[in-house]
Amino acid sequence: MLESIIIFGTISGLIYALIALGFTLVYGVSGMVNLTHGAFFVVGAYIYGVLLGFLSNYISPDFLYLTPVLALILSCVLTGIIGSVFYRLTLHQILGDEVGILIASICGCLVFQQLVYITMGNAPALGFNIPPLMPGITIIWQTRVLTGQILAAVISFLTFAILSLFIFKTKNGRAMKALSQDLEAAMLMGISVEKLYILTTAVSAGLACLSGVLYTSTVTGSVSTYMWLTSLAISFTVVLLGGLGSIKGTILGGLIFGYAESAVIATIPHAGVILQSFPFIVIILVLIIRPKGLFGKRVEME
Amino acid sequence: MPLNMATKYIRKAYTNFTTHIYDVPPRMLAFLILVILAAVPFAGINLLKLDILTAANLMAILAVSWDLLVGRTGQISLGHAIFYAAGAYGTALLFKYFNWPIWVTIPLSLLCGVGMALIIGIPSLRMKGPYLALVTMAFPLAITGFLYYFRDIFGGETGIRNLPKVFPSLTFFNRLIANYYLSLALMTISSIIIYKIATSKTGIVFISILDDELGAKACGINVTKYKLMSFAISGLFGSLAGSAYAHLMVGSASPSYLDFSNSIIPIIATILGGIGTIYGPLVGTYIYYLMNRYVFQELLPLDQTTQILLFIIVVLLFVIKWPRGIGRAIVEKLEDLEEPREIEEIEKERAKKAEKS
Repeated sequence: MLESIIIFGTISGLIYALIALGFTLVYGVSGMVNLTHGAFFVVGAYIYGVLLGFLSNYISPDFLYLTPVLALILSCVLTGIIGSVFYRLTLHQILGDEVGILIASICGCLVFQQLVYITMGNAPALGFNIPPLMPGITIIWQTRVLTGQILAAVISFLTFAILSLFIFKTKNGRAMKALSQDLEAAMLMGISVEKLYILTTAVSAGLACLSGVLYTSTVTGSVSTYMWLTSLAISFTVVLLGGLGSIKGTILGGLIFGYAESAVIATIPHAGVILQSFPFIVIILVLIIRPKGLFGKRVEME
Repeated sequence: MPLNMATKYIRKAYTNFTTHIYDVPPRMLAFLILVILAAVPFAGINLLKLDILTAANLMAILAVSWDLLVGRTGQISLGHAIFYAAGAYGTALLFKYFNWPIWVTIPLSLLCGVGMALIIGIPSLRMKGPYLALVTMAFPLAITGFLYYFRDIFGGETGIRNLPKVFPSLTFFNRLIANYYLSLALMTISSIIIYKIATSKTGIVFISILDDELGAKACGINVTKYKLMSFAISGLFGSLAGSAYAHLMVGSASPSYLDFSNSIIPIIATILGGIGTIYGPLVGTYIYYLMNRYVFQELLPLDQTTQILLFIIVVLLFVIKWPRGIGRAIVEKLEDLEEPREIEEIEKERAKKAEKS
C-alpha cells in the first residue's frame, strides 16, 4: 500500500503542480488572480483532442507515433495565442481593480465554457475522449502503473526545469522576475509592462493547455466543459499549500497534495464521493491553520 | 371623531410621503417601480409566467446581501450560494425531523444562515482579497460532497422533498399570486433594512473598512467585529432568500442550491446595476431576469447556450467599460435633476438675508 501511495502520489502530485504552475506564474509576475486559467485548461484539452483526430488523417502511418507530440505542441501554441488575445482584450484594461478582475475572469471562464458547448455540439455533455499519451503498462516497485502516467509525470517535471531555465537565463524571463520584484523600477529600466504581461499570460495559457492534456489523458480519460472548476480547485489547493507566486513552493504543494490525496484514496473506504470536494477541504483546513499558505508570506519568484 | 383622526393620519402620511419620497427623485422612481411590480398580476399577463418575477424577487434579496458584503465591506465572496442553501436546508431539516410549522422553521433557518456566515467568516478574517475569494468559492463545493456523503441526513441528489406550501388552502392560480406578493414584500422589507443598515453608522464603518482597513483600526474601530457583523447580516438575508425559495417555488431543498450559477447571478446583477450601491443589485436582478426571459428566450430565436454566452459577454463588457453600472447612472441623472432647484432656493435665501441686513 505504501508503494502505491508514493508512486501515485508522485505522479499526480507532479501533474497537479503543473496545473497550478501557470496560475502561480501570472500571480508572481503581475499580482493578478487570473481565473481564466481554468478555461484554458479545458479549451487546450479540447483543441488537443480535435487536433489528434484531425492530424491522424494526414500523417503517414510510419510516423503515427508523432501525432500526439505534434498535436500537443500545436495545441499549446494555439491556446497561448487565444489566452494572450483574451487577456489583452479584457483583463488588461482593468488592471489594479481586484474585484473587477476576479469577476471578469470568471465571466471569461463561462464564455469559453459556452463557446466549447456551441462548437462541439452534444459531445461536451458526455465528455470528450482524450486517449493516453502512450499505451501499455509498466511495473515499478511491484505496482502496475500506466506508461502514459509515467510519461506525463516526466513531461511535467521537464516543464518545470525548462520554465526555471527560461526565467533565470533568458532576457524576457529576467524581465519577468524584475517585474515581480519592483514594478516601477522595472519600468524605469525600459521593460515594456504590456508586452511582458501578454507574454506571461501566453506562457501561462500554454502551460494550462499542457496540464489540461496531461490531466485529462491520465487521470480522467475525458474532458468536459465543467472541468475548469476542477482545475481551478486543484490550482488553488496547490498554490495555497505552497504559497502564491513561488515556483519551488508550487512543486512542493503539488507533491504534498498528491500524497495526501492518494493516502486518502488508499485508506478511507468509499472515498469516491468525498474525493470531489477533497481539494476544497484541504484549502479550508490550510487557510484556517496557516492563512498565507504553508510556507509563509508571498514569495518573490524563485 | 374617528373621521377626524383618520384625516389627521392621512394628512400626516401624505406629508411624510411628499417629504421623504416624492421630493427625492430616486426614491420616487423606486416607489413607482414598486407600484408597477405590485400591479403586474392584474396586467393581464399569463399567470404562469409570474414565477419568473417571484424568483427574481427572491434572487434580488441574495444580490443585495452580496452587495452589502462585497460592495460595502470589501470582502469578496464568490460562494454566496452557500447562504441560499443554508436557508433551504435549515427549514427542510427542521421540517423533516421536528415537523414544525413554517412560521417557526423559516426564522430558525435564518439563524442557520447566520451560523454558516460565522463559520465562513471566522477563518476568513485573517485573509484578504484573492485568498478570501478562493476560500469562499471553495466552501459550497466542499459542502456539496458532504451532502452526497451523508445521504441519510440530507437526502443525496434529490434532497429533502415535499416541503409544506406557504398558502396551502388557496387554488393554484391564487397561490401563484399570493406567493408573488409575499416574495415582493420580503424583497421590499429586506432591501429597505439593508439600505438602512448601509446608510447608518454601522454602514459607514463598513465603508471605512473597504477604503482603508488599517486606518479604521487606527481610529479604534473593532474591525473584526464589523467584518463578522457584515458576514452575519449578509448570511441572514441570503438564507431568508433560500428558505423562501424552498417554500414558495420548488418545495424541496437539494444540492442544486449550491450550484455555481446561484453564486454568479448575484454577482452579474450587482455588476449590471452598480456595485456598492444597494439599489444597484435590485435593478440588475430585474434586468437580468427580464432580459433572460423576454429578450433572449422569446424575441431572439436562440438556443440556451447562445443566450448564456451573450449574457456573459454583456456582463464582461459592463465590467470593463462601465464598471459603475446602470442603476448608479440612472440615480446620478435623477440627482442632477434635483440639484439646480436647490441651488436656486439657496440663492433666494441668501438674497433675502442680504436684504434684511
